[in-house]
Amino acid sequence: MNLAPQLWWYLALSAVLFTIGVVGVIIKRNVIAMFMCIELMLNAVNLTFVAFSSFFQDVSGQLFVFIVMTVAAAEAAVGLGIIIMIFRNRESLDVDDASILKL
Amino acid sequence: MLALLFIIFAGLAVGCAVAVVAQRNPLYSAVSLIGVFVALACLYVMLAAPFIAAVQVIVYAGAIMVLVVFVIMLLNVEEEERRRPRLRFLVPTAVVMAAILVAETSFIMYSVRFSPFTPTDNISNTGITSQIGTGLFTRYLLPFEITSILLLMAIVGAMTLARRSLRLSPTARILPGAQVLARDVLTRGSPEDLTAIEADSSVEAARVLGVEPPIKREDLE
Repeated sequence: MNLAPQLWWYLALSAVLFTIGVVGVIIKRNVIAMFMCIELMLNAVNLTFVAFSSFFQDVSGQLFVFIVMTVAAAEAAVGLGIIIMIFRNRESLDVDDASILKL
Repeated sequence: MLALLFIIFAGLAVGCAVAVVAQRNPLYSAVSLIGVFVALACLYVMLAAPFIAAVQVIVYAGAIMVLVVFVIMLLNVEEEERRRPRLRFLVPTAVVMAAILVAETSFIMYSVRFSPFTPTDNISNTGITSQIGTGLFTRYLLPFEITSILLLMAIVGAMTLARRSLRLSPTARILPGAQVLARDVLTRGSPEDLTAIEADSSVEAARVLGVEPPIKREDLE
């Protein structure tokens, strides 16, 4: 059996990962857990980019992945800074405690 | 063979992703997320994208997850307690929207299923580092430069957010090192005394130690 993975295999995996990420963002109440689920969704999109890039023999998709990773790193730095400030002000990481977006 | 590898790594990725959502302790979620990242890096290698795979491990599994784990440790996160979910009436809506999402993605998969494209083999040039560098510095030069500005803004923003305010409250007192002393040092004479010492404030620590009352901050200035 010499079966090579098809393009839609990768897309299916990416869709599954993205859906898991969306479910996590919706059902989680811990800010850090929601943050990690967002990272999961970004990775699912990255997998789509790389799969298309590989199957279409075009390097542009991998460049987009590069930029997405940069944005994810910036988002991690700023997002975790915001999380630390929320924790300092409220002594809690539950999003329900920060639902009115003010002190 | 490739199909077997794909199934192994895809199963690892999906299993770890489910674990990310299912775990209640954020630290376990973080470790599972590292598993997802590593499995995806293996898939990138299978897709003949070695540079992206390396960057995935270095940036995601390395830098970003270190940052996340550091924040988890810093904030002393407790496990999520089970609370009655609010907004219960939104559950049917969520189910419907998840069904729509699945339908959309399966339509896309159906569309590309019969595409004639073949994957890049490992001999071809697509995906090697020099090609990515050429693309970044010629056709995608402007996004690349904008990325650097974005990173600069992120650095400044993160420092501004996480900086502790320099104005302490008037009641803040400082006794250097007093609160980090172990209990054995504090109560050397009574080893059978196992009650925890409340050293929440500098005053209590000073009382336990029998030293001078703590110095006020304004005296230092």
